[in-house]
Amino acid sequence: MSRTSQRRDYHIVVLGAGGVGKSCLTAQFVQNVWIESYDPTIEDSYRKQIEVDGRQCMLEILDTAGTEQFTAMRELYMKTGQGFLLVFSITSQSSLAELAELREQIIRIKDDENVPIVIVGNKSDLEEDRVVTRQRAFTISQSWGNAPYYETSARQRANVDEVFIDLCRQIIRKDNTTMPSFDDEVVHHRREGRRPHRTRRKKRDRGCTIL
Amino acid sequence: MRDNSPPRAPSSSTSHGSPSRWPIMVTEGDQPVRSSVHVAPLSINKDRSRGSSNASSHRRNLSSRASNMTGDSRSSQSQITPPATPNGSQEDLRQHIEPQQPVFHNFLRAFYPFQPTYAISDTTVTLPLNEGDVILVHSIHTNGWADGTLLVSGARGWLPTNYCEAYEPESMKNLLKALLNFWDLLRSPMTRDSELFSNQEFMRGIIAGVRYLLERSNCLTRECNLVQSNDGLRKNRKVLLSDLSSLVKTAKRLQEYTAVDHPQTNEDEINNTIDEMILKAFKIVTRGVRFLDVLEDDIRSRQQPVHRVMATVAEEVYNPPTPPADSTSFEGTQQVDPAYDAASRRSSSHSSGSCLSTVYEQTKRQSQSYKRMSSTFPINSTSRPLSIARPASAHVKRQSISHRLSASIPAAQRQNLVSEKLNASHDLFLSHLASFIGRLQLQSQSSAELIWSVRQTVTAGREMLLVVEVICAHDLQSAEALDPARNTMYNRINKLVNAARDIITASGMEEEDVVMPQQNGRLSMAATDCVKAAGECVSKTKSVIERIGDFEFEPQVEGLGIDIASIGVSSVEETKPSTVEPAPQEPTFQDPTPLEPASRPPPPPLVIPSYEKPLPEVPLGSPPIVEDTIARLSPGGLEPVIEHETVAIPSVDTKENSMLPPIPKMSSPLLTQDDYSPSEQSIEGDFQPSFRARSIAISNAGTSSTYLSSMRDSESSMISQTSTRATSPDNSVYVPRNQPSISDLSVSGSQSTLADDADEGESKMLEKTYAHELLHNKEGQITGGTLPALVERLTTHDSTPDSMFVSTFYLTFRLFATPVELAKALVDRFDYVAESPHIAGPVRLRVYNIFKGWLESHWRDLSDHEALVVIEPFAQDKLGRVLPAAGKRVLELAQKVSSHEGPLVPRLVSSMGKTSTSISQYIPADTPLPPAVMSKSQIALLKNWKMGGSNPTILDFDPLELARQLTIKEMNIFCAILPEELLGSEWTKRSGSNAVNVRAMSTLSTDLSNLVADTILQYDDAKKRAVIIKHWIKIAHKCLELNNYDSLMAIICSLNSSTIVRLKRTWDAVSVKRRDMLKGLQAIVEPDKNYAVLRRRLHDHVPPCLPFVGTYLTDLTFVDAGNPSTKQLPGLGDSEGMSVINFDKHTRTAKIIGELQRFQIPYRLTEIPELQEWIQAQIVRVKSTSEIENVQQYYRKSLLLEPREITHPKPSPIDAQNGWNTAQKDKFDIFAWTHSRDKERSGSVSATPI
Repeated sequence: MSRTSQRRDYHIVVLGAGGVGKSCLTAQFVQNVWIESYDPTIEDSYRKQIEVDGRQCMLEILDTAGTEQFTAMRELYMKTGQGFLLVFSITSQSSLAELAELREQIIRIKDDENVPIVIVGNKSDLEEDRVVTRQRAFTISQSWGNAPYYETSARQRANVDEVFIDLCRQIIRKDNTTMPSFDDEVVHHRREGRRPHRTRRKKRDRGCTIL
Repeated sequence: MRDNSPPRAPSSSTSHGSPSRWPIMVTEGDQPVRSSVHVAPLSINKDRSRGSSNASSHRRNLSSRASNMTGDSRSSQSQITPPATPNGSQEDLRQHIEPQQPVFHNFLRAFYPFQPTYAISDTTVTLPLNEGDVILVHSIHTNGWADGTLLVSGARGWLPTNYCEAYEPESMKNLLKALLNFWDLLRSPMTRDSELFSNQEFMRGIIAGVRYLLERSNCLTRECNLVQSNDGLRKNRKVLLSDLSSLVKTAKRLQEYTAVDHPQTNEDEINNTIDEMILKAFKIVTRGVRFLDVLEDDIRSRQQPVHRVMATVAEEVYNPPTPPADSTSFEGTQQVDPAYDAASRRSSSHSSGSCLSTVYEQTKRQSQSYKRMSSTFPINSTSRPLSIARPASAHVKRQSISHRLSASIPAAQRQNLVSEKLNASHDLFLSHLASFIGRLQLQSQSSAELIWSVRQTVTAGREMLLVVEVICAHDLQSAEALDPARNTMYNRINKLVNAARDIITASGMEEEDVVMPQQNGRLSMAATDCVKAAGECVSKTKSVIERIGDFEFEPQVEGLGIDIASIGVSSVEETKPSTVEPAPQEPTFQDPTPLEPASRPPPPPLVIPSYEKPLPEVPLGSPPIVEDTIARLSPGGLEPVIEHETVAIPSVDTKENSMLPPIPKMSSPLLTQDDYSPSEQSIEGDFQPSFRARSIAISNAGTSSTYLSSMRDSESSMISQTSTRATSPDNSVYVPRNQPSISDLSVSGSQSTLADDADEGESKMLEKTYAHELLHNKEGQITGGTLPALVERLTTHDSTPDSMFVSTFYLTFRLFATPVELAKALVDRFDYVAESPHIAGPVRLRVYNIFKGWLESHWRDLSDHEALVVIEPFAQDKLGRVLPAAGKRVLELAQKVSSHEGPLVPRLVSSMGKTSTSISQYIPADTPLPPAVMSKSQIALLKNWKMGGSNPTILDFDPLELARQLTIKEMNIFCAILPEELLGSEWTKRSGSNAVNVRAMSTLSTDLSNLVADTILQYDDAKKRAVIIKHWIKIAHKCLELNNYDSLMAIICSLNSSTIVRLKRTWDAVSVKRRDMLKGLQAIVEPDKNYAVLRRRLHDHVPPCLPFVGTYLTDLTFVDAGNPSTKQLPGLGDSEGMSVINFDKHTRTAKIIGELQRFQIPYRLTEIPELQEWIQAQIVRVKSTSEIENVQQYYRKSLLLEPREITHPKPSPIDAQNGWNTAQKDKFDIFAWTHSRDKERSGSVSATPI
């Protein structure tokens, strides 16, 4: 691959209702296991370098955890994001319901239907408290532009890296589609089998602006 | 690199001819020139044939090390190539443990002696090991060599791991762990921080470790059966405790250095003290190891009284009985440390010396690079001269039991060279001076104490001068060169003596026999001058030696006439009547200073009297010379009070030793009874050093030694109440003998009261403690612990608990313990401290204070009420009995809290982060309030509005005034935020949240954003909208000027929202200037890089300032999510440590809350009620619809005002998703506009229009 060597920065925004475990998900992902003590107040608190399909990606994660009530601020967060993790808890119907609004807002702000999104049902370790069936969550994610759906357990660190990698891959693919020089088929074939297959989206011109 | 090639180290070829199957047999002739060299290993070259090429490589090594090691010596260690694999033959491998173990063991123990056969090169590398030696391992090279520090000597070097086995017995676990922490802490560069030293946290682990060891072995108290029945055990236990006490004292000294911040206490001194402490800590562990060995032997001997058969038994023939862990302890365990200490000091104080001997040069470099662990001479160097001087008979026993000593005769001879002598005496002098200066930092001392320490110092100085004299006499030419330096030093010492005399004479006039610290200025000046003069003198002397060559030391010069005897002798006499009665058990005096070989004539005139005392040649068993105290105090008699103290020291008495029951010789190479050094036995004496005891006895706290000096200062009343020191009953059993040979042990003041402490150690140091259940970080802050351990930390007896720790605890304890649990833990603390009566007083007072503080200022009746069932009976019963007034107070408070709203004693809004001075500091109260920017017409406008007239717009008011009123409004809420609202994500609770003020903040912030959008969107005319936008930009700018980041954020968010941003025509009407201003403001609140810009601004920002609350909330959320609630205590080896509260997490939480509280200081601005009212009305108007609807409304309105340019309204895909209830569907309908492109999407989603 021609661009494996150069590191790219990607902005990821984690959204979801309060109490769904967003912050745990982010903290788990960002933290290396050997970090003894996590300090969220420093600049690098939410940065992590990962390798996706052989290329180095620096993910800068913006997590709104704790400020859900500052609704006016959401757009500020969303503006910077290139990809979005929409997190709900499988133990809360309302947390899934709130995602719809968030998704609308994202699409409105990005003015882009195909903005990279991953739907995450967190707290999969609390199977006995589950109120959102996998089928239902999956159906909704399908209806949201075939967004991939994952179930994670931040507490058990299950599927945590996967959701970020998937999102990152989407962003990369989107990058590529806007750069015709690069054949996105290559990336496309790399996708993991476990994810629901998605038909390819049409390339679209992103030149439009609402300004 | 060829010459550097590492040796094939102990291989079977080297042991050729030996009947052993072991790789190396060391014979005495093979002894290295230096038995241990405390140098970072580089490489060794054992190949004799290559000897000639060594020189060049050696030089290279040296220089590379010099550059390498200036930084962290540990890191540079790793770059050094260790010697090649120790085991050259396969056979060896099979016989022993695998050289490369998968698990890294921090401690190894040699089960076979390792003596590098080839004389160690100057770049010494390998550590000679004696069987039983315990090594602290820093790293293990893959080839099987480990970089380790030999605990017995503090020497560091490479050692073959296949000679060792992991050492981590369960009962030593905590002590070893503590040593690791201690090492890490003290060696870390960060520990220069005086805060760390003053809190003495690092000491607790060691103490707790020793306690744990004794507890595990059922030897906690002297009365334990095991201790009583096994003499060896008892003695070892005693020595262990006295060493511990010695370390504690040194630590206190360090505390004093740093606490007083005396100009004299430079970094070197601190470093030296740290070196000393590390060595002492090593020693303690060594003692512990031996103690455990004895214990095991004891157990074993009960089970199987005959010889044990061990794996290594086969070798016993070749092994001289090896002292187990600490062979050097024979020779003055105590003394060793100052020697080290001084060694490094010397090297630094001599940096000016230009032409030093090569050895010295090298030494210097090493010690510089090691800074904190510099010890360049064989450990026994200082003590050696004495043992040599001693009659051979006295030696015999030792040689038979000490492999190392007996083998190092060449080294012993070397000791007698003048250069060595000079070094030794200089070391000694400096260590005395250091301890002298240290004493000056004490709050006060008795004149007798002062005399004593001056005397010791002067004696040591004399020693050194004597050596210089010898050199002068040896070469007359050099005498001239040395004269000035020698005279200076002489004068300086005299000055010191004079200063001391003046002070004592002066204080003698007064009633109290106390020398106040303020009087000490001159003394410490004089002492420092001495340090300097001695340094110069030594460096000059060294260059002379260099020139004339080293020679055997034969003292021939008369002593100098330094008159120290005259120092306030009479005053001592007056003020110390109590010292008169010589205690029957009082041991014979010991010469406090290391004596020169016996041949030296006693120094003449005003020599320290001790020189006239029996010298080493006094045959053993000569009648003890017991001097009457009075005689010693007589003015002419140059009586050293010192003697009393020094006796206490482990006066090795071979005779005494021989009186011991014969110990069956064990065949095991491991520790056997007769391996014990006599010194340990002699320490047994429970004598009270009469001097010290009496001088302080006045206050009944007399027995408390310097160990508790800080307590004595602050809480003497408590101590005197509780001091329950038992007077030693068994003194008579151990009649200390005049044993000059050991007298040199008492070199340092800190050790002189050892016996005293050994005794006290019984009760004082082994207090029940949970300190081993506490975790610290490198800065010494507590990062974890069990509840009892944290409570103990909260109620320490010897230091005021760190205020940050206390406030964190109060603030966050409900997150890790229930109020009932806390109350019970406090009561437990109150109870178990009874086992340690000497500290019970202060601890109980602290327990009371914690209860009081809790009830007064930190009580939350809702959750804490249940704890009253514990607190009230406790106050009534236990507390009331001990401290009646305190019990009453707590009871009162407990009865009040239930009925009282809010804290009984209101704390400042903040109990942390904010200082009481901060307001006055930043906003002088007398500063006039800034005049309001309000015209009469504006007021009239508002009045009119209130009467039902037309609603003014924001354009009617000045941006500055609007910004101010917004700021006042928000600040009122911000200042009302209570710390508990910020705990446990209280503010995110969906219902019943108690975080009312945090909620109000976010609501107001959102309302303000909506108001901005509302005011802009109310006009159909783009130009008018642009004017409003411009006005808001100005208001936002004024908010920034007021440091109101919260309002700034709200306004910017709104102006930046998709609703407003998309109004292209409107923005076209906004001037470039204003748009640039907005860009600047946006950059400040940019969430990029974790709000890097905003955080940088708020860092160190002075109030008044209204920070953006959201970042604190996010930080708090992530501290909670990103840090587990428990931590594991580190286990040794494979063992899992126990799980404790992650206090670090709570500290972080408290820190963030403290940051927020730092800004909870109101602005000094004039509130304009009319304007406030109007703003509130606008907000209420905007609020009339729900937040979500607002956003949608505004967006719809925005679309109406400036419709999209693409006009293909299509049904929203959302509606197709039949997932939601109809209400929601309806809600999303309004977004149909936005999804105009959905239809272009691939057919996977069936767009079902509604």
